[in-house]
Amino acid sequence: MAFRNQNSGRPLAGGILLVALLVVSVALVTVYSREGADGPLHSAQNAVADAIAPLKLAGAGVSSGVEAAGQAAADATADESTLSALRESNAELRELVAQTEEYRQEAQRLQGLLDMKDRYDIEGAAARVVGKSATAWNQTITIDAGSAEGVEAGMTVMGSTGVVGQVASVSEHSSEVRLLTDSQSGAAAMVQSSRAEGIVRGSLEGLLYLEDLDEDAEVAVGDVVITSGLGGSYVSGLMIGTVVRVEAGQGGTPSTVVVSPNDAASALEEVMVVFSVGSQAAGDAADDEAAEGGEAQ
Amino acid sequence: MTDEKGTLALVIGAVIAVAAQVVLAPNIAIFSAQPNFIVAFCLLAAIVRPAASGPVLPFVLGLASDFVTGAPVGSTALLLVLFTFLAARAFAVLNNDTVFMPLLIFVVAALLIEMLSGAFFLALGSGVSVLDAFVYRALPCGLYDCVVGLVLYPLAARVLAPPAPMGPGAPAHL
Repeated sequence: MAFRNQNSGRPLAGGILLVALLVVSVALVTVYSREGADGPLHSAQNAVADAIAPLKLAGAGVSSGVEAAGQAAADATADESTLSALRESNAELRELVAQTEEYRQEAQRLQGLLDMKDRYDIEGAAARVVGKSATAWNQTITIDAGSAEGVEAGMTVMGSTGVVGQVASVSEHSSEVRLLTDSQSGAAAMVQSSRAEGIVRGSLEGLLYLEDLDEDAEVAVGDVVITSGLGGSYVSGLMIGTVVRVEAGQGGTPSTVVVSPNDAASALEEVMVVFSVGSQAAGDAADDEAAEGGEAQ
Repeated sequence: MTDEKGTLALVIGAVIAVAAQVVLAPNIAIFSAQPNFIVAFCLLAAIVRPAASGPVLPFVLGLASDFVTGAPVGSTALLLVLFTFLAARAFAVLNNDTVFMPLLIFVVAALLIEMLSGAFFLALGSGVSVLDAFVYRALPCGLYDCVVGLVLYPLAARVLAPPAPMGPGAPAHL
């Protein structure tokens, strides 16, 4: 039996197996770090992520259960007679209010997405957040829209108030979205009022930092930061967040600019994957029409 | 309990650990800290069964962890194979029939695994500083793993431990 290979009768075989598995592990890490995003190990990882997406959806129920358990513990410490009287008279109302509140919040979130879609004239697909990263080292979410819904890797993802991240990998009916707050994220950005350009980067603290600003850049607390579209990784003109702290360096140059992100990952429930925005959508449509016209001739 | 039953318990425990990592861990995060049930399970198995645990289980579970968490494939497998081996050896040498020693070995190994996971994370292209990686991820996650390990240790000692040798004067396993 493999699990027992270190028994005293076979120490040598156990040692060889140990070294072999260590070598295989190192080889896998090396291959993984050198291969591209389309390499076999990355592809296998994406396939596993797709396969376990329904499990993550089940996890959302667990989350509700954990919250309910916390509430129950809090209730248990209250005065029993008060609780029983209130419980009897309020049971029905509480259930009704909770249900209504759930619908109200969902409607509010969806309305926010619709407003934002109208405001920016967005072509895109709405999706539900069905899971979060299974490790603390990545800030990612799983959404229930994939290639079947038109989602592609690299597309911008928005919450109800602005950009929240970018599609990192896609499978047929789900996608992994790397949030802007992830330490490996970066987006070309600009300060809306002064047009100062820089790069917004995530961090392990969950904050966004606006970096690589020009020396004469003017940034103040309260300024809105938007995507600049440079580099093509994010659609331009979409809100990223608001400047909440500016630390001046030598000569008054802003050395550290902290940007408050639009939506906390924990609060994200619905998002929109952006296919195209405003004139870009119109331009694409015009191109399509021109191509179709050419084919017809 | 025969050792076949112990092996079966290991396999069942492994499946539960992977499922818990996918379903439960993201939902019981405290600020930036998430527990790693797979790391906790492998270390517990190595400490509770020091003479019967091999490198295959941590290797397989490490690979599973890498695939479900998006970590660099092979990194967790490498760390688990290495540290379960070291933990089992440390326990075999340092065991003094108290609960303190296995738990101490568990805590040290869990913290080292989280720190080295952070090292992989940094080495493979993350732009964060070593201090940030340690303060915001490795330390809180390592401590969370320790809490999980401390809570699960009594259960692991009961379910996973191999049968004690029979006969007069035979020492208890723990």
